[in-house]
Amino acid sequence: MPQQTEINIKSYPNKVPKIKKKSLWKRIWEHRVFYFFLLPGIIWFVIFSYIPMYGITIAFKDFNFVQGILGSPWAGLKYFHQFFNYYQSKEIIRNTIVISLMKLLIGFPMPIILALLLNEIRISKFKKTVQTISYLPHFISWVVVVTLLQRLLTPYGGPVNELIAAMGLDRIQFLGNINYFYQLIISSDIWKGVGWGAIIYLAAISGVDTQLYEAAKMDGANRFRQMWHVTLPSIRGVMVILFILACGGIMSAGYEQLLLMNTPATTSIGNVLDVYVIKAGLEQGRFSYATAVGLFQGIIGLILIIAANQISKKVNETSLW
Amino acid sequence: MVMKKWSIFSIINYTLLALFAFCTLYPFIYILAYSLSDGMEAMKHPIYFFPKGFTFQNYIEIFQDTKFLQAYKITILRTVIGTALHVFLCALFAYALTKKTLPGRSFFTFFIFIPTLFGGGMIPTFVLYRELGLIDSFWVYVIPFLYNFFNIIVLRTFFQQLPTSLEESAKIDGCGDFKIFIKIILPLSAPVLATIGLFIGVFHWNDWFTGTYFVTSKNLLPVQTLLNDLLSQSLAQANAAKSASETGTSLGLQTIAQTTPESLRMATLMVATLPILCVYPFLQKYFVKGVMIGSVKG
Repeated sequence: MPQQTEINIKSYPNKVPKIKKKSLWKRIWEHRVFYFFLLPGIIWFVIFSYIPMYGITIAFKDFNFVQGILGSPWAGLKYFHQFFNYYQSKEIIRNTIVISLMKLLIGFPMPIILALLLNEIRISKFKKTVQTISYLPHFISWVVVVTLLQRLLTPYGGPVNELIAAMGLDRIQFLGNINYFYQLIISSDIWKGVGWGAIIYLAAISGVDTQLYEAAKMDGANRFRQMWHVTLPSIRGVMVILFILACGGIMSAGYEQLLLMNTPATTSIGNVLDVYVIKAGLEQGRFSYATAVGLFQGIIGLILIIAANQISKKVNETSLW
Repeated sequence: MVMKKWSIFSIINYTLLALFAFCTLYPFIYILAYSLSDGMEAMKHPIYFFPKGFTFQNYIEIFQDTKFLQAYKITILRTVIGTALHVFLCALFAYALTKKTLPGRSFFTFFIFIPTLFGGGMIPTFVLYRELGLIDSFWVYVIPFLYNFFNIIVLRTFFQQLPTSLEESAKIDGCGDFKIFIKIILPLSAPVLATIGLFIGVFHWNDWFTGTYFVTSKNLLPVQTLLNDLLSQSLAQANAAKSASETGTSLGLQTIAQTTPESLRMATLMVATLPILCVYPFLQKYFVKGVMIGSVKG
C-alpha cells in the first residue's frame, strides 16, 4: 500500500506540467463544445438566480413597474422601519421561529427513529413494504395533504370525529381551531416527510461495518446497546450535516403548508414570515415592503446556517464547507 | 426456536411499524372509498373503509367536466415538457462538468452553488417573471424550472462513475462530443435519468403555487390549483358538509347515484394523485440512490 501512494505522488507532478504547457486559451478552445453545453445553463442561472438577487434592491427603493427596478427612486431603509414598526411584526417573527423550532426539535429525530426501527426488522418483505409506503406522502402535494386532513377531521361525517362521537364524546372542529393548530402543523409535516427523511439514515446504517456489531455482541451488548453504541455513532456525520441544513431553515416555517393551513381564526399563532411576504407582495402589491421583509428573513437564515456550520466545525469536525 | 426469535422488542417494533404504515395509507383508502361512493349516501353515513352505495358516477362526471379536462391537459403538458427539458439540459450541463481538464470547471460549480445559499426571494422573482412576460403564460410552468443545482450534482456524480474507455473509443471512431453524450452517455444513464425525471416530474405534477399566483387565465390552470381553489372554498365555508348537502341536490342528474361537490372533489383528488402513486414504487431503488448522492455531495 505505501508503495502505491508513492507512485501516485511521483506521477502526479509529471502530469501537471504536460497540461500546463498548452496555453489557457488553447485549452479553452479545445473545450469549446463543452462551453456550449454549459451556455444555456449559465444564461439560465444568471437570469433566474442572479438577477433576482440584484432585484433585492427593490427593498431599498419605492418600486413601481413603470419606472422598473433601475428607474424607481431610492427609499433607503424606509420599508425595514415600516416592518419593524408594524404592530404585528414581533408576532410574525415569533410565530415563524416557534413553528420551525418545533418542526426541528420534534420532526428532526423522527426519520432517525424510523430508520433505527426499520433496521431492526428481519423480515425483508415487511421492511420493504413499510419503506415503500413511507415514501408515499412525499410524492403528494400540500394541497392534497391539507384536503385529506380536512376531510378526515371534519366534524361533519369525518371518520375521526365519527369515532370520537361513537365513544360518546363531543365532536371537535380541528381545522381552524387555535387549540389544535400547532399539533396539526407539526404532525402533518412529520407525516409527509418522515419516510423520505429516513432514506439517508437507512443508507448510512447499511454502511456500518457488521464486525462492529459482532464485537459489541461479544461484549454482551443487547440490541438497544448495539443501537446506542454502534448504529447511532456511525450515522452521526449524516445527522450533523442534515441538522446544519435544517438550522438554515429556522426563519422559514414552510410557506406551502402554512399558506394552506392558516385560517383567520389561527392567524395570531399561524401568521409567519414566508406567508406574510406572499400576502403583502403578491396579494396586496406592496412589492418594496414585501421584498424588505423577505430580505430580512433571508439574511437571518444565511447567518444561522453559517453559524451552525462554524459551531459544528469546532465541536464535531464535520461541516458543509 | 420461533418463540425465541420474537422478543418483546420485536413484537412492539413490528406493531409500531405496521401502525405507522396504516396511518400513512389510511387517508388514501378513505378518499378512494369516498370517491367511489354515492355522494348523498356518503353524507348521511360515515365512511371508514368501504364505499357507501358503490358507484363510478363521481369519476364519470369529472371526466365530462371541461374545466377539469382542460386543467388535466395543462398538468400533463407541463409535466411532460418540463421534465424532458429539465432532464436533458441538466444532463448536458452535468456532462460538461465531468470534464476534469475543462478550464473554469470549479468556478461553474461554485457559480450554480451560490443560489442554493441565498436567493432573491419571492417578490424579485415575481417582478422578473413580469418583465419577461412569463406571468399568465404557459411557459411560467416550464422555463423557471429548467435547472436545479442538486439534480446537476446527482447527474454529474453518476456520469463520473461511467467508464471513460467507451468515450475514448468513440472519439477514435470520430464521434463528436455531443454525439458521444447522446449515443453513449445518455443510454448508459437510464437509472439516474429516471431518478431526476421522477423528482422534477413530481414537482411539476404537484405544483399548485405557480398556477395560483402567477397565472390568471382559467384555461391555463393545472389540476393542483383547481384542487386548491376547491379547498379554500371548502375551508371558507364554516361547514363544508352542510353546504354540500344544499348544493349537492341541485346538480340533480337523473342517475341512480348522486354526486355532491364533496364527492366530486374526492374523485378529483384521486385522479390528481393516482398517477404518481402508480409510478414511484417502480423507481424506488433508483431514487434511493439519487437521494443519497444529492444529500451527501450537495
